[in-house]
Amino acid sequence: MTTNEAKTNMTAEQKLQKLRELYADAPEIGKAALKNGLAMLTKELAAPGHAQTAGRIGARQGKVSELTVFLPFVPGGAKRLRGFLELLEGNFKAADAVGTVHDMRFVFVDDDTKILFATAYDGDFDPYIEDFAAKIPNAMDLWLCNFEGYPGMRNPKAAADWIAAHQIAAEAWYVNSPNLTAAETRRLEKVGTAVDEFLDKIG
Amino acid sequence: MTTQEQIQVEEKLRKVQELYADAPEIGRVALKKGVEEGLARELAAAMQRESAGRIGARQGKVSELTAIIPLEPGGGKRIRGLLDLLGGNFKGADIVGTLHDMRFVLLENDTKLLFCTAYDGEWDTYIDDFATKIPTSMDILFCNCAGWPGISSPKIKDWIVSHQLTADAWYVASPNLTVAETKRLEKIGAAVDEFLDKIG
Amino acid sequence: MSPPKVELHEIQATVLRLRPAPYYGSHVLFRVDDAKAGHEFLRRLAPHVDSAANWWKPADAWISVAISYAGFKALGLPAESLQSFPEAFRVGMAARARELRDEGVNDPKNWEPLFGNGEAHIGLNAFSDSMEKWQRIVEMAREQLRDLHGVRVLAVQDFGMQPGDRNSLGYKDGIDQPAMEGVGVDPLPGQGNPIKAGEFILGYPGETGVPLPMPQPDILGRNGTYVGFRKYQSRVGAFNRFLHANGKTEDEREFVAAKLVGRWRSGAPLTLAPDADDPALGADPHRNNDFNYAGDTHGRRAPFGCHIRRMNPRDTQLTRLTDVNIHRLIRRGTTYGKPYDPNELSEDADNVERGAIFLFISAKAMATMEFLQQEWIDEGNFIGLGEERDPIIGRQEEGAYFTIPKEPVRRRVHGIETFNVLRGGEYFFMPSLSALRWLGEFQM
Repeated sequence: MTTNEAKTNMTAEQKLQKLRELYADAPEIGKAALKNGLAMLTKELAAPGHAQTAGRIGARQGKVSELTVFLPFVPGGAKRLRGFLELLEGNFKAADAVGTVHDMRFVFVDDDTKILFATAYDGDFDPYIEDFAAKIPNAMDLWLCNFEGYPGMRNPKAAADWIAAHQIAAEAWYVNSPNLTAAETRRLEKVGTAVDEFLDKIG
Repeated sequence: MTTQEQIQVEEKLRKVQELYADAPEIGRVALKKGVEEGLARELAAAMQRESAGRIGARQGKVSELTAIIPLEPGGGKRIRGLLDLLGGNFKGADIVGTLHDMRFVLLENDTKLLFCTAYDGEWDTYIDDFATKIPTSMDILFCNCAGWPGISSPKIKDWIVSHQLTADAWYVASPNLTVAETKRLEKIGAAVDEFLDKIG
Repeated sequence: MSPPKVELHEIQATVLRLRPAPYYGSHVLFRVDDAKAGHEFLRRLAPHVDSAANWWKPADAWISVAISYAGFKALGLPAESLQSFPEAFRVGMAARARELRDEGVNDPKNWEPLFGNGEAHIGLNAFSDSMEKWQRIVEMAREQLRDLHGVRVLAVQDFGMQPGDRNSLGYKDGIDQPAMEGVGVDPLPGQGNPIKAGEFILGYPGETGVPLPMPQPDILGRNGTYVGFRKYQSRVGAFNRFLHANGKTEDEREFVAAKLVGRWRSGAPLTLAPDADDPALGADPHRNNDFNYAGDTHGRRAPFGCHIRRMNPRDTQLTRLTDVNIHRLIRRGTTYGKPYDPNELSEDADNVERGAIFLFISAKAMATMEFLQQEWIDEGNFIGLGEERDPIIGRQEEGAYFTIPKEPVRRRVHGIETFNVLRGGEYFFMPSLSALRWLGEFQM
């Protein structure tokens, strides 16, 4: 039996017991909260979990995956990228063109020696990188060239390997509408507008 | 594009070229290609990068919260264990009703927590509501952070700010769609499908 | 554990006492040019300020006194004290325009000249139940300025109940108020479970069980509260034109008017009187607020976006996790200017001086007002209405509309405009009676 199966076979009561053991040495406020939250926790632990993986790396919920990486800058890279991002002023038409990105953030950390890049996107990791390599290789090179060891998008497999090497696994990943891809969301926006117009006419 | 806008775009292009003058080869080649392929258009369509209030970035209605938080001794183990037992289940997040996505990542040998979320609105508007409605969930999870004052503490907002980083760039595919609006559209979409099925 | 007894004799009467019916009064704003004179003025006023002891008994005339941050500075309050006030209070209402969504026509740069420039230091509110007593109490307040150089009157805004107890858009108002624990009376039917006193008065536990942050020193903060003062100009012509555009008969127009607010103009709630007005119900404080929304989950009686359902969602299922009880305000609404006339349709009628001045009172009034403006007034997301705004006090964009849920198809009324325009406002602190005396005796 794998660990996952073992977990699925645990009852809520057993999970609760494990949680109590885990929290035996927790700060006071945590122990108190655990006591107060027994009823609520039992319900949460009873519900089936549905954590998945996004293929090679990353977590996934339904159709939506996450990628979290810390990338090290080359000397001068942080300054260059920051300048470039400022000039773009939050405009990421390139990401729109790919059409599978839900959100992404760029955070300069560790005194500008690294960047935290965190994104939510549709599907699995490797096809995602292939998509970028196929549709916007240039835009990718333009921002990733600022990092140590970046091999370039001309070799998507090498690029994917390089990204994977810097990825950190999420312990937990939550998505509100896990079955809504970015494209489906855009389609629904159009449907919503059409319905409003229609109802206005007949209402 | 007006003449004024054209001048602004040219200025931006010039600045980018300056920035990339000493970039690695790959970058300089990409810039050349990019200019040929219409980088100017990208620079022309600038969107306002807004803030989510005191801290955090925002696009349209969707904000980001990114925090790197040192953990209590043993905190990493407890968080990992708790999240593991929950198995990807976050009923609490569903109830909150404004979280688009949320991730928990353990860093530096389980001594730090990276917490990233995309959510609707301003960063602190509903923290008081968490304190009266879901205090236990919040405290069970975050007690593992060093110095967690408790969700009900008057110090909580300052504590969050002290660990929060504002993203230098933040992109959202559908920036005007809140979680509530998305749910409404999902219902409409389903109703339309049913209707079309009936008359089709 | 029983709730702590609130020290009613320390709290200013206006915090708890309802306005009389009929009501007459004035808001007077003062500027302090000399700190010593300012202290002397407060020392003289203090004995005339009613406390909230026996607040539920009818009273004929009273005053309340509140001070803005600029006022505290002008009074020479020490830096430590000044720093202990929350930031929103310190910078003043005009500087919080972004958080309050006071943009466009409501932008502080469009406000009346006396607001927004840090000159409103002391606010005095006089309430009474007759013209004669009103005149006497205003005269008494003016008396306290005698031979006092260094405090001057900036503005006097008279107000009073209109015929039929209607506000500037023709509605009976001020019906629903939050109920508080430990203040000596049981809630009226429909007010819901009493809320912890500390949400409205400083020094007592709030809903989390912990008292809200209080300015220092203790004598200044305890039993005090914050007051958001906001003056609106009612565009009566625009409102009447809108009703005429959406209702061919008087009945149709009154129906639309009712849907916008959630009450018929008589005060009768749509939830209890969904199809026809019931003036007797509207006039009865033991019945006109006695409802919740459990039987109206589709908004077919009271639309989700109607004014009263926004200002107090009660048990409405909201799209996001919200504790309604921590977002309530005590409201003292006062109508000023020419009475409402349903036949005024001209554009000139929009510019007649009339409207509403509100005192919004709570121990965290700034945070609550900013929350309400952001979440429940200038937005519809919390009830699944996208970008729709409150039709009565929301600031409207071009093309604004209002959704009336209906079978089989919802009705959308277009042509919603900003019917109440913000003319100015300020954040004040309303100290306890001991604090007033302390400020009066204060030596720098």
